[in-house]
Amino acid sequence: MPTESRLETGSPWIELATTEEDWKAADPVLLGTMLAELHLIRAFEETVLELAGEGLVHGPAHSSIGQEGGAVGSIVGLRSSDAVNGSHRGHHQFLAKALTHVAGGVIDPAAPITPKIQRVLQRTLAEILGLAQGYCRGRGGSMHLQWFEAGALGTNAIVGGGVPMGAGNAWAQKHSDTTDLTISYFGDGSSQIGSVLETMNLAAAWRLPFCFFIENNLYAVSTRVDEITADPRLSVRGQGFGIPGWRVDGMDPLAVHLATEQAAERMRSGQGPAVIEAEVYRFFHQNGPYPGSAFGYRDKTEESQWRSRDPLDRTAAEMIKLGHIDEDGVAALRKQCQQAMAEAVSHLLEPDPGTEGKRRIRPDLWPDPGFVNVGVRGDASELDSLEVLEPTSYQGNWRDTRFVAAVAAVMDRRMATDERIVVFGEDVHRLGGGTNGATKGLAKYGEHRLVGTPISENAFTGLGGGLALDGRFVPVVEFMYPDFMWVAADQVFNQIGKARHMFGGDNPVPFVLRTKVAMGSGYGSQHLMDPAGIFATSPGWRIVAPSTAADYVGLMNAALALQDPVLVIEHVDLYPIADKVPDVELDYIIPPGRAAIRRAGADVTVISYLSMVARCAEAIEQTGVDAELIDLRWLDRASLDWETIEASVRKTNAVLIVEQGARGSSYGGWLADEIQRRLFDWLDQPVERVSGEEASPSISKVLERAAIAGTEEIVAGLERVRVGMGQR
Amino acid sequence: MATVVRMPEVLANTGEAIIQTWLVSVGQQISIGDPIAEIETEKAVVEYAAEVEGVLASLIAEPGTTIAVGEPIAVVAAPGEDSADLDPASTTDVAERNPETSVTAGSPRDPESAAPVIETVTDAPVNTNGHRLFATPLVRKIARERGIDLESLAGTGPGGRIVRRDLDRLPLSRPETSPSSTAAPPVEAPAAAPSAAAASGYSDIPLTGMRKAIARRLTESKTTVPHFYVTADCRVDALLELRRSVNAAGTTKVSVNDFVIKAVAGAMLEVPEANAIWNTDSIRRFDGVDIAVAVAVEGGLLTPVLRGVETMSVSAVSAQVADVAARARTGKIKQQELEGGSFSVSNLGMYGVNAFSAILNPPHSGILAVGAAAQKPVVLDGELAVGTVMTVTLSADHRVIDGAVAARWMAAFVGRIENPLTILI
Repeated sequence: MPTESRLETGSPWIELATTEEDWKAADPVLLGTMLAELHLIRAFEETVLELAGEGLVHGPAHSSIGQEGGAVGSIVGLRSSDAVNGSHRGHHQFLAKALTHVAGGVIDPAAPITPKIQRVLQRTLAEILGLAQGYCRGRGGSMHLQWFEAGALGTNAIVGGGVPMGAGNAWAQKHSDTTDLTISYFGDGSSQIGSVLETMNLAAAWRLPFCFFIENNLYAVSTRVDEITADPRLSVRGQGFGIPGWRVDGMDPLAVHLATEQAAERMRSGQGPAVIEAEVYRFFHQNGPYPGSAFGYRDKTEESQWRSRDPLDRTAAEMIKLGHIDEDGVAALRKQCQQAMAEAVSHLLEPDPGTEGKRRIRPDLWPDPGFVNVGVRGDASELDSLEVLEPTSYQGNWRDTRFVAAVAAVMDRRMATDERIVVFGEDVHRLGGGTNGATKGLAKYGEHRLVGTPISENAFTGLGGGLALDGRFVPVVEFMYPDFMWVAADQVFNQIGKARHMFGGDNPVPFVLRTKVAMGSGYGSQHLMDPAGIFATSPGWRIVAPSTAADYVGLMNAALALQDPVLVIEHVDLYPIADKVPDVELDYIIPPGRAAIRRAGADVTVISYLSMVARCAEAIEQTGVDAELIDLRWLDRASLDWETIEASVRKTNAVLIVEQGARGSSYGGWLADEIQRRLFDWLDQPVERVSGEEASPSISKVLERAAIAGTEEIVAGLERVRVGMGQR
Repeated sequence: MATVVRMPEVLANTGEAIIQTWLVSVGQQISIGDPIAEIETEKAVVEYAAEVEGVLASLIAEPGTTIAVGEPIAVVAAPGEDSADLDPASTTDVAERNPETSVTAGSPRDPESAAPVIETVTDAPVNTNGHRLFATPLVRKIARERGIDLESLAGTGPGGRIVRRDLDRLPLSRPETSPSSTAAPPVEAPAAAPSAAAASGYSDIPLTGMRKAIARRLTESKTTVPHFYVTADCRVDALLELRRSVNAAGTTKVSVNDFVIKAVAGAMLEVPEANAIWNTDSIRRFDGVDIAVAVAVEGGLLTPVLRGVETMSVSAVSAQVADVAARARTGKIKQQELEGGSFSVSNLGMYGVNAFSAILNPPHSGILAVGAAAQKPVVLDGELAVGTVMTVTLSADHRVIDGAVAARWMAAFVGRIENPLTILI
């Protein structure tokens, strides 16, 4: 018989409920503030549903009616420098944070409406209606509410998608010597998704002051929680990660407040994250003004039982019992909140002249359609004051270096001069500079600036995104192989790439993502992509792809200075190359819009980047075609050097775009499209392209070579161009 | 699912063709192999056989209009499909299913480009015959600026596309014109003499596809293929005697030309270097002997190809020549019968022509021009005598055949004609 002994996770997991004594002991000011916030939110949400019923809310209106207790109970005690984020159902969290912020944590239920509060109500409603005066200029709407000043980091339409970014904010708080904390709200539907679970692991491993606040309202749209998970007590989630859990009745705002206080004590004292599960109930369906029972997935009996435990009524009843307020006072509070909403609405709507009895949005409040692309990225003016050095015309001395040593050296230089820079990635802190030596010599900056991560790209990328939004740090995240971007795709493309624009266009996202193309290394179908094409066709990202060490230095310095997410693409073939950099401090930049002409020619413009530039030069030599070779350096739509490309094509009238990787996700497609559009009348033949095959490169050496483009394929491309030129 | 039938590429290097006659009508059941149209190509009127079965749902191409290869000409509904509610988007494409009939088969490396690319572009430059003119955007721009008529140019880019280099060759004599130019209007050409003065009237005969093909192909041949000529007189008395015996014995009548064709095949076996064509980056030498025979037809000529002549009897040659000539004249010849071969025979002897030289028929490297057999004074062993003599002239492609090879070939040919039993063996 084997011996068995019961193992424990060692993490507390408790259910917390209030007693009469707790209510008695509670500060009447706290209770009054909670009651006022509950009523303000309720009145606000009723207004949103009323407008949705009139067809005035474009898109979904995810009502939080019934769930106010969780948000108010957990937020009412927070500092403005504490932060929250949430998911699609986030009006109540946003409002609780914004109201607590503008009111300094105290609202008098007898006179709750101050000008600041009135302004919060109107701007929040304007945002939900998609109007220019909203917090995100109408871009974000109901599901993307952000107000940094109040500590509202931004709500998120991807369930669980905001959680890694919230952890990034907590990382910044921890490493800025504060005792602030961050709460990320999500629901029962999000409690199973990878980004949440990955982030639990990360936050616990790094002891972040971060609260996973689960608003368990039992239904993900119409799917009941016990249908989709074996243990529907979702506060159990932290147990596997060493995170203590609190389970609390979310219809009791005081209980939520007390649980949050316990969790906050742990977080503020550096012991790490907490999980709080508040059982709540949305009185209406997923969105819109109808109860869930109308859609048949739950019944009216269940709904009426939960409605009888309305957090507004519970709080009011306890306060009446304690003599803090009377029924008339509660009625007056409700009336004032409703009047405040009517006032807010009156500034946003007017009678519809086309239909009697109907209302419409005041036409002058809509955003200008010309605003559509503003703020997809910044204007790069932050580079204006930096020293530009153009290696192709540099006249001074050079020093020899291997390419990869220049990669490490420029990061070393920047980390020495800018304490905000922190590096995250798998194994970046070990092996003498990561798997390729690219982070060599950086360990001296300490484990908080060179951070080895768990294998959870979605979480650590999103954490970096949260750091970037916060702004106190400049994250440099490494993907060991580019294909891992698919693992982290939500954070890379939905969050980091879109964040600036989606939340109004003003808040910068300084984020550097390094990765290396490894075609030729035998790592096979899932490691050998070139990410340029996918990033170039996704909004928000800038891309650099240096072909020389000197360019790498200038481009990395620009990437680190830019207030936008920048992908820095490296190539394993370049790492060992004996190269050189200008014999100066590695502080210079090569700004966006600066391609390099590696060879002047008259017959065809060959456009390439990264390691393929040298291959192109070889092929041009072999064929004797008089080609002009452009090394793009900057690859994204906004940073491309159109001036150089256009001048060259006007001269040569022919284009060959060369890249190494698979055709499907390749870079050249969009570029060919742009070129034929901009330069149609200057083209004397179709834009030709060289790329890899349809298949991803296989591990077999022969098949890998067959799948990717090399010098021979470029030679063939040049010969096609030659045929296209006709006969002399 | 309905199928779009597209204009087939009935002739190699042909970009367009005309539906001369539809042989089927809408609603008619058709089977694979049924002739559905007579298509007039640049070179021939051929029957086009259905490649799908079903009910003819609609005829898109009007008879008589020129249609680019690859353009839809008809729609065939699948058996049992209601042709009334055909959705063009739900049709498959004969050209796609049969890439050999498509002009746009992509390279294997480039699956994206395999789709047919011929499109109707309504505002693209179109020549006076309604044909799409292929010129690059840059060429169009320069042509606009310099006032160049692109129709007068031959393109050297892929598929005959006019490219910048084709303009670079032009003299820059034409002044650049600009809309804001204040220069005097161009001097007009001297006025033509009053038409009433003399010039007789004329009529312009529209070009048929065949006429255009002859013009294009033979101009190309004469101007780009280095022709040279080798002429010989053949004594044909023995041949004529043999022919008489053969014709007397057999049921079919053979002609002198049939013997000529056989003799050509024999000479090819003896001098295999001549049985070859220019293949741009190689010389293609054939194993068998395929010989094209020029057949005069209304409005032009056709050159159906006899296959494996070296293995045929004279009577088989005779029967085949008669068959293809008859079908060529009635438009029943099939496209594949017009393709291939290394050599042509053109015989104008029946018109009493003494001797002539012919233009090579691409891609052939030789053509033998055969004159009439006529009695002439001949010198035999120092004595003047009367003999029957036939003069033949070989036109040869010097890229493939050098003078000595042509001479050896001619000797081999004459040897057979003058010793005709070798032809029968």
